[in-house]
Amino acid sequence: MLGKFFESLYLKVFVNIVVKNSTTDVYIELCSKKGVIDNAEDSFNTTKMSEDMLDFITSYTRESPFSYTSVLDTSESQGAIPTCSKNRLSYYHDVSASEYKCHDKKWTYYTSKSDLYDIERRYQGSGVDFVFSPFSILANFFKDKVDSHHAMYILVQEGFISLCVFDNSELLFAQHLDMEKITESDDLLMDDSDEELDLDDDGIDLEDIDVMDADDSLDDFSDIEDLDSLEEIDEFSDNKDVEEEFYHEESDEMAENEDTGFNEDYQRFSLIQSSMNHFYKDEKYESKFIENVYIADGVGISSDLKRYLEEEMFLSVYVRHLELGAEISELARSEVGL
Amino acid sequence: MKYSYIIPRKKSVFTAEIQLLLTFFSITLGMLFITYLFLLFKDYSFLSDMDDIEVVQSELNINIEDMQEQITFIEKENLLAQKVQTQNTVLKDSIANLFDLVPQRITLSEAKLLENGLVLYGVTPNKDVYNFMLQAPLRSIFHRTYSSFHPAENGWLRFVSTNYIDEEINLSQEIDSEN
Repeated sequence: MLGKFFESLYLKVFVNIVVKNSTTDVYIELCSKKGVIDNAEDSFNTTKMSEDMLDFITSYTRESPFSYTSVLDTSESQGAIPTCSKNRLSYYHDVSASEYKCHDKKWTYYTSKSDLYDIERRYQGSGVDFVFSPFSILANFFKDKVDSHHAMYILVQEGFISLCVFDNSELLFAQHLDMEKITESDDLLMDDSDEELDLDDDGIDLEDIDVMDADDSLDDFSDIEDLDSLEEIDEFSDNKDVEEEFYHEESDEMAENEDTGFNEDYQRFSLIQSSMNHFYKDEKYESKFIENVYIADGVGISSDLKRYLEEEMFLSVYVRHLELGAEISELARSEVGL
Repeated sequence: MKYSYIIPRKKSVFTAEIQLLLTFFSITLGMLFITYLFLLFKDYSFLSDMDDIEVVQSELNINIEDMQEQITFIEKENLLAQKVQTQNTVLKDSIANLFDLVPQRITLSEAKLLENGLVLYGVTPNKDVYNFMLQAPLRSIFHRTYSSFHPAENGWLRFVSTNYIDEEINLSQEIDSEN
């Protein structure tokens, strides 16, 4: 009772740490019961807890005893499983050395216990209160779509890709990919590419694909005679996400960076392609044809990735810009009941 | 813990610094409280002692009064004793004088001192010796003198001399002399 009273007197400080390839972003929110009062953000050229980072965090956390530090789990050995039944978990993955949590009694996300210890040890200077899975971020970010759509949802971070397939809030498939480690093994990528070719050979009938995208895509498919009417294209255009339109406006500004982002986006495309192939091929997973892809863009991807997915895999791609720090903070706030 | 893999650390308003501060203040307040309790106890103890001392004082006062009475009584007794001693001395002198009065030829066998008289038992060779040598001085001392004789086995006479001093006469004589 007294604790609650004191708690109401203080602001809550949410420190959200996002580790990237070579940098770490720290996003801090100061919240009262009414909502977010202030926020601050800084980036540090390290992937570990440096003194500068600790000073930056401490300058906010010392303001209130109710400070919560959240870290986004980027470890390689994490994933999600389309069941919450403990008996069925081992069918998909050996979770004996993993920490796992059931989401809405429908699906489970997991990560290695040793990686969790590693995170706690790495940030023992400031302490860690929450470690979130990118799959939780995805499910929360696309909550409006996950519950009623069948689609692939992709969280694009710098150096990592987390993707999952939901069919009306039921998880069908999920995979977390570390781009850096997978790049080191080029053979793997090549194998996946081959498999994708096989996938095409298996015969995805273009006539069955009724999802179309913007005018650029129409140009690419101009030689297909049995194309759906332009009315359907207009209808689809109406249904496009507002975020996606916004993204198109931004994409011109990002054109300068396209050269540098080209390789990365192609790499992302390859990984998504191989993952999708894995989803279709692996008998463990209930395979359903994917038409739509929702991308949560946490790095500012170029339009190439969207174009690759649309042109090469005939997918409808919607890109929504994501502020990872703010999303993690939202999860942290929901954890403490704000 | 809906989404996080780990449980958040316990948050408390009482940070290490505040805990240290509170501990310090608690100890200080505790010491002040203990001091206050000690002073209260000492105050109570002092009042209690004072009450006890007042009771003792009153008892001592009573004792002093008793002792004063006893002293007065003892002084009276002392005076009385001195008086008795004086009287005894006088009586002793009187008895010594009395025995000095008895001539060598008369032998006393018993003498009884009365409050206002003297009874003498003894043997005398004859009445004349008694009348001239003992009765005459006795008559000069006592107002009334009675003598009785009866013969002894060896031919002497046993006598009983009863002598009285009349106080009223003495008093009246004293009053007359004073007037």
